Amino acid sequence: MITSRRIPANRASEPIRLIQYAARPVDSRSDRGAFQRPVPWRLQYFIVMGGLMILVGSAAGCGTPKPQFEPNLAFMRYQKLAESRADFDDPELREQIDDIEHAVQWLFGTPDAPKLPEFDATELNHFLDLDRLKRSAGPVGGDLAEQTGGLYRQHCARCHGINGSGTGLMAGLLKPYPRDFRRGVFKFKRTSSQVPPTRQDMMRTIERGIPGTAMPSFAELSEEDRLALVQYVQYLSIRGELERFLIVEVAMELDEGERLVSWATREQNPDRFEEEVGWLREVASEPMRRWAEAASHVTHVPEPPEDWRSETSVSRGKALFFTTLTNCAACHGDTALGDGQTDDYGDWAKEFEPGKPAALRDYLALGALPPYKSQPRNLRLGVYRGGEDR
Amino acid sequence: MRTALAIGIVAVLGLMTAMPASGAEWGTLKGQFVFEGKPPIAPPAKITKDKACCGKHHVVDESLLVNPDNRGIQNIIVYLYTGSKKKVNVPVHPSFAKTANADVPLANDKCRFAPHVVLLRTTQILVISNTDPIGHNTKIDTFNNAAINYTIASGGSLKHQFKKPEKLPARVSCSIHPWMIGWVLIRDLPYMAVTDKDGKFEIKNLPVGKWTFMFWQEKAGYVDQVVVGGKKANWKIGRKRGQKEITIKAGDNDLGVIQISPALFNR
Repeated sequence: MITSRRIPANRASEPIRLIQYAARPVDSRSDRGAFQRPVPWRLQYFIVMGGLMILVGSAAGCGTPKPQFEPNLAFMRYQKLAESRADFDDPELREQIDDIEHAVQWLFGTPDAPKLPEFDATELNHFLDLDRLKRSAGPVGGDLAEQTGGLYRQHCARCHGINGSGTGLMAGLLKPYPRDFRRGVFKFKRTSSQVPPTRQDMMRTIERGIPGTAMPSFAELSEEDRLALVQYVQYLSIRGELERFLIVEVAMELDEGERLVSWATREQNPDRFEEEVGWLREVASEPMRRWAEAASHVTHVPEPPEDWRSETSVSRGKALFFTTLTNCAACHGDTALGDGQTDDYGDWAKEFEPGKPAALRDYLALGALPPYKSQPRNLRLGVYRGGEDR
Repeated sequence: MRTALAIGIVAVLGLMTAMPASGAEWGTLKGQFVFEGKPPIAPPAKITKDKACCGKHHVVDESLLVNPDNRGIQNIIVYLYTGSKKKVNVPVHPSFAKTANADVPLANDKCRFAPHVVLLRTTQILVISNTDPIGHNTKIDTFNNAAINYTIASGGSLKHQFKKPEKLPARVSCSIHPWMIGWVLIRDLPYMAVTDKDGKFEIKNLPVGKWTFMFWQEKAGYVDQVVVGGKKANWKIGRKRGQKEITIKAGDNDLGVIQISPALFNR
């Protein structure tokens, strides 16, 4: 049934990557301040892994290690599963983290072989199309006409990362940083607050790109390719949301000695195992349902009134701009230069506890990008992110 | 005769099932959290915006408030924790019915959130107001509920209901005034409390029995490493930190003085 590489039976022979990550000593990078991106952690890793690959390749003949969905270590730190990187060495915690990753993989597969869970609620089984996911997943197939996969790694992964963490190799150079899909939160959409975007919203984003950011337009791709990519981004989001949910479960719900899912004793105790994976499917159905039902939460934006450029309308807007009702000027500044309030971190950064230097060092080492404060838009540049103009 | 007996048995059974509401079956949990060491003085908040209005209120960083007289730690949140994976049925004392649909205030007042910690039930309505002459926004980062972020005009107010319980207190912030931080704990059960300026808390009318309680403070996170009665304790169940099983007996259940070392607030 399980064809993945990371099942408990053969796990012993395989190095557990996340622990290697976590156990690295704090190096001099931490003294350079939060705003300078040092030699990326990942890069060091790739150098080491690259060396290993050559060794393994020459010894065993061939083979590159298959890319893995890296665990969301920063969120584990945030949920206090570990309160320092050394805590990740705890063998019991390693098991718990493996349980989480194994559970997510059991339902959603790997970067090379995506899977979809089968839900009791059958309407959820049609939201994502596995064939389209396969078209996006896997290694880049080259520029041959018969290329059948690898769209995501070809077009997205360098910035958004293999697992959609928004921390791909290029990510540290971009501002704003690429989106972390795993929170299931997106900006350019017509749905109400806290509801994911519709598929149409995301098609629009990748077709147009996001002016004012590094996100380019993918209008040159065929519509079928764009649709495959949008579905893959939705897949990474749902997968990432489930992972976050399970991290909270392990941090706050498991009793002494209890495991998330008892993979190891599934044969001795099949009833319990079935119950556990039944629960797993049920909790996975929640993010899937949010996405599947997003289209029914589309809000209606009325057309602007015909006289919106009129003097009366503009002066009314000007007055509103400065009221305590809208608070526009509070952040965008009295002259709209974006120089009002510039002393607050955004939601994305707050999860890395930027006010606590010791904690922040951990987050950076665990894969987070250095947090920056939110920058209210300078409204006088004429470029509005996600706006009509390309 | 037989009918009378049957009625009698039914009546007795009825009485027995009604017993928990009779008063003897409910207990109170209390305790006092004390800072082990020299009480820190809360530093003034960094007022970076609207100085004319907010500067005069002497707002402080409220993330750790220790009473200089008795070292009591304010704003430690204590609540009965049932978890979400297993259904636990917790009887609720009838006295909570009258507040079940109450309005619970959260004011943007003098450039801080008042109160700093709000205890809110899923049946209650949060009333967010702004009594300052300046504009505020109130952003509440919930996990299970849809998060909210409203701007509230000077003198204005609005109502919001969070319908799902949260496992942990949710952060309340104002993006315009980043020093403004508050917390709201949203639970379906009414069994929650926050320590007062002397570090004391009290949860009344708990059903007798063995329950899990959660102890949390914004700067420390889970309150797990404590000293009770001179002995070190680690309040932890499995991997679940800050949680402790406590058997509630009828009447008072006093945890006594619980000491916390300064290190807990610096991790």
